[in-house]
Amino acid sequence: MNLFLYLDRQSPVHRLDPRTKLGLLLASFLSAVLFVTPVPLVSLLGVLLAYGAVGRALGNLRRIWFLLLSIAAISVVSWSLFAGGTTPLFWRVTTESVTYGVGAALKIDAMIISGLVFLSTTRSEEMVLGLIRMRVPFPMAFAFSLAIRMVPTIIGTAVTVTEAQRSRGLDTESGGPLARLRTYVPLLVPIFLHTLRNTDQLAKALESRGFGARRERTSLLTIGFHGRDAVALVAGLVVLGLFAATRILSGP
Amino acid sequence: MIRLEHISFRYRSAQDPVLRDVSCHIRRGELVGLLGRSGSGRSTLASTLNGTIPHLVRGDLTGRVLIDGQDIRTQRPRDLADRIGFVFQDFEAQLFSTNVSLEVAFGPENLGVHPTEIARRVNSCLGVVRLSHLSHKAPAALSGGQKQRLALASVLALEPTVLILDEPTSDLDPAGRRELLEAIRSIRRTRDLTLVMIDPETDEMGWVDRLIVLDQGRVAMDGTPAALWDRADEMDALGVKGFTLAKLARCLGVSERWVDADAAANAIRTAGWGGAPGVAARLRLADAAHAGGEVLLEVDGVAHRYPDGTEALRDVHCAIRRGEFVAILGQNGSGKTTLVKHLNGILTPSAGEIRLRGKSLRGQPATALSRRVGLVFQNPDHQIFAERIWDEVAFGPRLQGLAEVAVAARVEEALEAVGLAGMGDLDPFILTKGTRQRIAVASTLATKPEVIILDEPTTGLDHAELQGMMALIRRLNEAGHTILIITHAMDIAAAYARRVVLMQGGRILRDGPTREVFADEAGIGQTGLTPPPIVQVGNRLGVPALTLDELVSCLSRTAEPPNRRTPGPPP
Repeated sequence: MNLFLYLDRQSPVHRLDPRTKLGLLLASFLSAVLFVTPVPLVSLLGVLLAYGAVGRALGNLRRIWFLLLSIAAISVVSWSLFAGGTTPLFWRVTTESVTYGVGAALKIDAMIISGLVFLSTTRSEEMVLGLIRMRVPFPMAFAFSLAIRMVPTIIGTAVTVTEAQRSRGLDTESGGPLARLRTYVPLLVPIFLHTLRNTDQLAKALESRGFGARRERTSLLTIGFHGRDAVALVAGLVVLGLFAATRILSGP
Repeated sequence: MIRLEHISFRYRSAQDPVLRDVSCHIRRGELVGLLGRSGSGRSTLASTLNGTIPHLVRGDLTGRVLIDGQDIRTQRPRDLADRIGFVFQDFEAQLFSTNVSLEVAFGPENLGVHPTEIARRVNSCLGVVRLSHLSHKAPAALSGGQKQRLALASVLALEPTVLILDEPTSDLDPAGRRELLEAIRSIRRTRDLTLVMIDPETDEMGWVDRLIVLDQGRVAMDGTPAALWDRADEMDALGVKGFTLAKLARCLGVSERWVDADAAANAIRTAGWGGAPGVAARLRLADAAHAGGEVLLEVDGVAHRYPDGTEALRDVHCAIRRGEFVAILGQNGSGKTTLVKHLNGILTPSAGEIRLRGKSLRGQPATALSRRVGLVFQNPDHQIFAERIWDEVAFGPRLQGLAEVAVAARVEEALEAVGLAGMGDLDPFILTKGTRQRIAVASTLATKPEVIILDEPTTGLDHAELQGMMALIRRLNEAGHTILIITHAMDIAAAYARRVVLMQGGRILRDGPTREVFADEAGIGQTGLTPPPIVQVGNRLGVPALTLDELVSCLSRTAEPPNRRTPGPPP
């Protein structure tokens, strides 16, 4: 089972320079934090889905739909109850609090989808190259990409450990909060120790493959700015500008 | 090339040194096999050869390791990377790139090799390990065997003159092992390569120039495979498996060295030995006594498709009877582990049904099933979490809600069964892999399941630990437990299992008594597996023996003149 998000495909987004894609990621985050109301955030989501479709990355949505849905549900329910407002709907819920909850849900999901498109279309090695060109030292850039790569590895370990403990009769699915907390110990200890041991092994393997042997490192992959990067960046700036203008014109 | 002068090493956290005054000289182009029981210092010694010790592992190193005359203390592993390649045992942890090509490119990139040259090396190294067709795949999506070959390729791309391999074939099926060794031999045909390889499979090490056996941190034996050929007993005593064919030769009073089963069979025939009349029928009759009782588990038309679309099982049918000892064999990725995960409800079939004593497992929670079907996972470290062995083993019984008195009885009994009685207070994490494997078995045993399934119970164990583990499993079987094991070790399947289920591509290819399945070498060969050497010799002599003892007891001096044609295997 492959837990990594990168999709090895040909698409205009795949061909963009990683720095361009980082720029677009940043622009999308900025656009998202500008708003609290649902309408502009829905349009932002639309733009991001279109971007993802061009990058042929939307297939990965299937793998995280549950996450997106749970975050949306938690956000809508909790903000509806606690955000407060002036137009009562029922019980403690107000029109404003529901609107705020929906807005917050859209905002977080938009950011996750934007991150998903980036990871689905960018190899971690390209990201490292991009960061190096942005004057991030190689060891730091590599550590950053490795941290992202570690997530699926740890999830894989977690799946195996959970299966192993369920085979011994551990019920990971029912019980109250306290009982649940107790079930986490037999899961977390092996996951943690296994990850620690892997990290130690990885450090030795990296060193024996010459990691850090030379100041100047070469690369099999090449990156560079092309016309399409200029087009993408301009488009990203225009969209960000439009959102910013909307925000300013709509008042505080 | 590599000279060790009075090397001793003690890990910082340990009391006693792991290596004690080791001196030896490895010459350019030499192929060295490094053997020794677990804890003998094999891996530690290997780690000194590229400077992982002392640069990355803390401890006290005395003596000198000289690489081309230069002390290892002055050179870090990364500075030696273009001369000394090191493939670590844990291949999963060595792979981190997006795809196979980039994994191989990582090393030369670090050394500042020109991109055109990197591309050439990537192509040629992937060709050597036969992974060219997978160059765009994610390493995580490869099978265990492919991952091990990729780990090798990623080190070969540095074009080292010395290659150190720490158990490079531990997770490989026999076909994968052959491919890996063939890859290494093919490099040697094109350029100069010194090789140091740790591999517990002595029978597969006949082709090296020199074998070094370590014991308690000292060099106990050092010589060519020919010189160590008839010292099998000494090797066994050091916890290392002696050459199987050598043991056979000695039992028959022959002093020749046989390179393979064909040579052995010919020599045995020439010496006037042959199968005693009626032995095959006698062996089969004895097997029939172990046919098993009523059907416990029924797998009926089971298919499994993972969420990513991989079809891991297709239309699998089989029935497990009470008291059976079954080995599930097959190449990496043939669906063995997926199958057994269905038997205790961890996975649910996409189609078909599993029944335990006639009742469908569908809808029964895995937690309840765990009392009846116990599954010991391949890696004990995926389940051990407690600070005392006792608590680890008590985990299952406590989850069943037993009273502490009953829990204590279960734990004592389980610890007794695995040979860890009185050791309940020890911390599992400071013990050897073999002991941790025993703890995992004990913790399953303590839940008193009818069926015990063990996924690769001997991986990473040394010869002595392996014998102990298998003797334990046999005792459990004799005490009435139904046993299923998944294994890549053909000699274990032959010696212990009464029945073999052969899997390929998610289907069951053969299912029958071990003797029948192993007698059909062509059939088993379709899955890339080969019977162990003893069985091969037996097949050539028309004796369907599964172990050395069986084979020897079935051979007798025939009255016929030497070189007569032996009768083919009985129908």
